[in-house]
Amino acid sequence: MPANRIIIIGAGVMGQGLAEAIAATGTDVILLDRTMELARYGVERIDDSLDHAIARWALTQSDKKAILSRITPRDDMEIVKEAAMVIEAIPEDLEMKSELLKKLDSLCPEETIFVTNTATISISELANATNRPDRVIGMHFLNPVPKIPLVEVVRGLKTSNATYEKAREFADLLGKTPILVYEYPGYVTTRIIVPLLNEAMHVLMEGVSSADDIDTAMKLGYGFNVGPLALADMMGLDVVMSWMENLLQELSEHKYNPCPLLRKMVRAGHLGVKTGEGFFKYDKEGNRIPYDKTTTETWRVKE
Amino acid sequence: MNILVVNAGSSSIKYQLFNMDEEKSLAKGMVSRIGMSGAIVTHKPFDRKEVKVSGEILDHIVAIGYVISILLSTNHGVIKDKSEINAVGHRVVHGGERFTQSILIDADVLSEIRNLIDIAPLHNPHNVRGIQACQKTLPGIPQVAVFDTAFHHQMPPMAYIYGIPYVMYKDYGIRRYGFHGTSHYYVSHRAAEMLGKPIDKLKIVTCHLGNGASIAAVKDGVSIDTSMGFTPLEGLLMGTRSGDIDPAIPLWIMGREELSLNEANTLLNKHSGLMGISGVSSDMRDIIDASGKGNTNANLALDIYCYRLKKYIGSYAAAMGGLDAVVFTAGVGENSSVVRQMTCDGLEFLGVELNQAKNQEAIGKEMIISSDNAKIKVLAIPTNEELVIARDTKEIVDKIGQK
Repeated sequence: MPANRIIIIGAGVMGQGLAEAIAATGTDVILLDRTMELARYGVERIDDSLDHAIARWALTQSDKKAILSRITPRDDMEIVKEAAMVIEAIPEDLEMKSELLKKLDSLCPEETIFVTNTATISISELANATNRPDRVIGMHFLNPVPKIPLVEVVRGLKTSNATYEKAREFADLLGKTPILVYEYPGYVTTRIIVPLLNEAMHVLMEGVSSADDIDTAMKLGYGFNVGPLALADMMGLDVVMSWMENLLQELSEHKYNPCPLLRKMVRAGHLGVKTGEGFFKYDKEGNRIPYDKTTTETWRVKE
Repeated sequence: MNILVVNAGSSSIKYQLFNMDEEKSLAKGMVSRIGMSGAIVTHKPFDRKEVKVSGEILDHIVAIGYVISILLSTNHGVIKDKSEINAVGHRVVHGGERFTQSILIDADVLSEIRNLIDIAPLHNPHNVRGIQACQKTLPGIPQVAVFDTAFHHQMPPMAYIYGIPYVMYKDYGIRRYGFHGTSHYYVSHRAAEMLGKPIDKLKIVTCHLGNGASIAAVKDGVSIDTSMGFTPLEGLLMGTRSGDIDPAIPLWIMGREELSLNEANTLLNKHSGLMGISGVSSDMRDIIDASGKGNTNANLALDIYCYRLKKYIGSYAAAMGGLDAVVFTAGVGENSSVVRQMTCDGLEFLGVELNQAKNQEAIGKEMIISSDNAKIKVLAIPTNEELVIARDTKEIVDKIGQK
């Protein structure tokens, strides 16, 4: 067994991004999901993402071939027996994640490190589902993983120094700058960005400015690459709302109360880029459809 | 004395073992796909057939271990014991201003080579890995670094300083360094031998035309100018690299397409050159083939390639105040009579005149291909960087022996 085998569990958006970023460094990686169909679908999406990178001149066809050749889709859990590191990137659900870690704990060699890619769930609680809480650590990557050069390395109460060092080395391999975070709800990135997005929604709801102008203000005024409302659309409004609710529940502070406009849009199924409509409209490829300026005096009233 | 020559890349290591008492190659080969599934070792002993072995090769250390064991193996080996390797010579791409000649590697030298990673991020890290792998695998055996930049170190400042604020040179070492030095050195000296004249009385333009391509003005045995600059991106049109370009163009494209540094870098290094213009291939053979079949963009790429070469030959003749010989080497230069012909066409006014038959004949062999009474000699010379590395290594090791 290769001494450095890395296995990702969950071939969703985060799993795909991680597999692509790892393979791009010249490292082999296994992308595991419940069925071969899901795992292969994940690889197909990576294929699309690489095509996009080629169109942006970032890669060549032969780079793409090499990257894809290093990603193996699998559906057999048994393979984790050969892993030096398992990264779980399954949906953000405490019960599902605990269940998975418990199972991994029974299958993996003693020295295998478990990395959990969560934005909000307690590492200490997840670690407690295993008999190796010292070898469980959080690494919060941001989407799209291949492009965002940051990772929050999250230490649970019992995470060991050795495990933390391994996580840092892994961040180095990926060319990501790690910041050290001691477990606390929302870590750094989510904790700070979510109230900011929420405030932008309040400004919009109160009719202070249009969605476009709010984003322009933050882009040009404060050097944001993406405006807060466009960013909320990219993250998914349902995800943003669940983060707010999670922070509200953990920290009981009024400032984490989701903006009524956010609640309304989530209830209406306007979840952002993924549903084609959020604060802005999007085509099937996720590209923004420029809207008619004359109809956007204030927050759009549904016709 | 046996010397192992090592050229370490990101995922490959090329090697060659020389018996330097007779300047004879004992075996050569390459380890590819290091760190990936299905790494391959291709090994060719001088007197036997080539063999291919595949296996799991995690890193450069394992790769060097493989190389040593195959050199020792009963079936494919050429030596019986590790101790028969007396020294190792490494190709190191960037020597900066610190290294102007080959040098015995000690801890200080290695750390200086590592410091140069800042200005040579694509090559020096792998060269360092190759050196460290050999230090681990062959402890106590002298290791010598031979630099691609060294031959160009006598260029005058007017050839190496760029027209940007001088503080960029002082602070960051931004200047022309030039590359392929070992090859330019070898073929210019070889040309002098073939012409039967002392090198310090000759004005030679050497054209190294491989995947990367550069051209050098070698006056009296010294490189006084060369087309590659701060990085190997400048100068001639290459397989996938743009070569000379208006520096405002990348800035404009970056603004227009909102490209990151990395994307713009890949655009110029991997999507440009013959490949970018033709859309066909980065390989000159495919370009000539497609051009012959009427592909206009392939034809254009070929024209640009040779036109730019011709301009450089003219400008270097002017820089040297004359020209005695033009040398073609490396993949394209050694093998493509078409490129040599197209490049020389129109240089008759200088005194360049090819012998058609000899130009056709010179494929991978050492030949004078100009007509007998031409004022300027044209030569095709297969390069041999490994031999130069082995010679330098021997010389340095011999000196330590005498101390």
